[in-house]
Amino acid sequence: MNLYLKLLSGSLRSRMQYKMNFLVSSLSYGLIMAVDFVLLAAILQRFDDIKGWNLYEVGLLYGISSVAITLYRVFCVEVHNFERYMVEGEFDSLLIRPVSPLSLLLTKNIDLSRIGGTIQGVLILVISIIGLKLNNVELFLLLIYLPVTIFSGLVICFSLGLITATIAFWTQRIKDFQTFTLYAPFNAANYPMNIYPGWLKIIFFTVIPVGFMNYTPILFLLNKGGDLWNLALPPLVSIIFLFISLRFWKFGIRHYHSTGS
Amino acid sequence: MVYWILLQKSFLRNMQYKVAHLINNAASAIFGFVFIAIWVGVLQGKENESPYSALDMTYYIAAVQCILWLSGFLTAGLNIQNGVRNGAISLELARPTNFFLYVTSQEAGRLLYNLFFRSLPIGLVFSFTVGFYIPQHIPSYFFLCISILFAMIISINLHYLVGISACWTTEINWAHFVNFTLLVGLGGQLVPIDLLPAPLSYITPYLPFAGAIYYPVMIFLEKVSSEVILIQLVWVVVLTSFNLWLTEKARHKLEIQGG
Repeated sequence: MNLYLKLLSGSLRSRMQYKMNFLVSSLSYGLIMAVDFVLLAAILQRFDDIKGWNLYEVGLLYGISSVAITLYRVFCVEVHNFERYMVEGEFDSLLIRPVSPLSLLLTKNIDLSRIGGTIQGVLILVISIIGLKLNNVELFLLLIYLPVTIFSGLVICFSLGLITATIAFWTQRIKDFQTFTLYAPFNAANYPMNIYPGWLKIIFFTVIPVGFMNYTPILFLLNKGGDLWNLALPPLVSIIFLFISLRFWKFGIRHYHSTGS
Repeated sequence: MVYWILLQKSFLRNMQYKVAHLINNAASAIFGFVFIAIWVGVLQGKENESPYSALDMTYYIAAVQCILWLSGFLTAGLNIQNGVRNGAISLELARPTNFFLYVTSQEAGRLLYNLFFRSLPIGLVFSFTVGFYIPQHIPSYFFLCISILFAMIISINLHYLVGISACWTTEINWAHFVNFTLLVGLGGQLVPIDLLPAPLSYITPYLPFAGAIYYPVMIFLEKVSSEVILIQLVWVVVLTSFNLWLTEKARHKLEIQGG
């Protein structure tokens, strides 16, 4: 942990050598993440709701999903960019260290330029919570549970990222898979799951379980259905999925063959 | 002609990755299904309040997902920024070829590849699932071809502008983000620009972003007059002239360091 904090401050210092570039990159990344929500706001300003979900309710889903995926992009940058280790043959250097390759990947680097997306997600959450005008009990429950749902989302995102990275042991390049396993599902999780056709819902509640991250608990917390199980499912699913992804990662490492030179 | 050969080579280079691209197409289709689901959810029971029905919006989003691969998802800065960073731009600008055409013809080859291996397969997926509009009038096909060509030229120019700005700024990531955001936001990727709130709905039809996505899609759906091609033509001329002028400025700015 001490080592990780040192790395964090080092990364921040190196970024701050180019302050203007860091600020503009963060701002512009936040802007691109926000544009979908602004457009959605424009639609809902005209048409009121999307299958019974108003702008602030969708905002809660959107904020949780945005914060989860951008935190993954900040803290798991080397897992996300893992194809570089396969294409450039750098993975061998991780295998000869006395620490596990995954620990090395997680502590090697962080990408602070993505923090703009997290800030944008938090802003949407704040605006949505204010706009929802919840009573004290509902507000208290929501605020208590928000860190749980965001952390569960981060773990689900990391697990999906790790499974996709493991595919690189066989395919080398994974950028195109990431669109399929990360970008498209997390974009879908920005909106309520009840709008999707049955086959998409099955995907988002099984093989790519992003539906559990925000839709399941928010459904209960906004009195739209479900029971207390809706609050237990996100951490439960994220732990199971993390376990599966770690097993798959170990399986991938066992089958890794260096190219040699 | 050298630019035609560059275009062909770029097309063939992309062919090497066609399996990965086909996987990516599935994700692109899922994005389309998500956006279609949003519109169907929004318009359910409210179709009389909207100039578009749920079916119109299904066709609209399906067409947008195809067009995006021709005028939305281009190479950031057309890779000009890499040449600025490693110094290769000095050699490229000194070549007896037109640098603007040298760069843009390579991107054009990639877009031609996208037409066959991205746009068409995605269009096929939509036609077998949610349906895909077929223009009913023969002249629409002619105007569609011109509009798509202009959309590609506008978008290539916007990306070239971002890339060549590296000669002054070195770092173009933020400029690319902003350009892409404006392109999808004001180009009508999720919301047809006539549905945007005022004053955006008054301004956006005259911006280049609408010419890159919205107009070709609306011509395809036969929902606007073919005269909108004139707006695209104006932007083609303005952006191309400006980029040629800027390239000359960059050439004059160039300093070659000995080694």
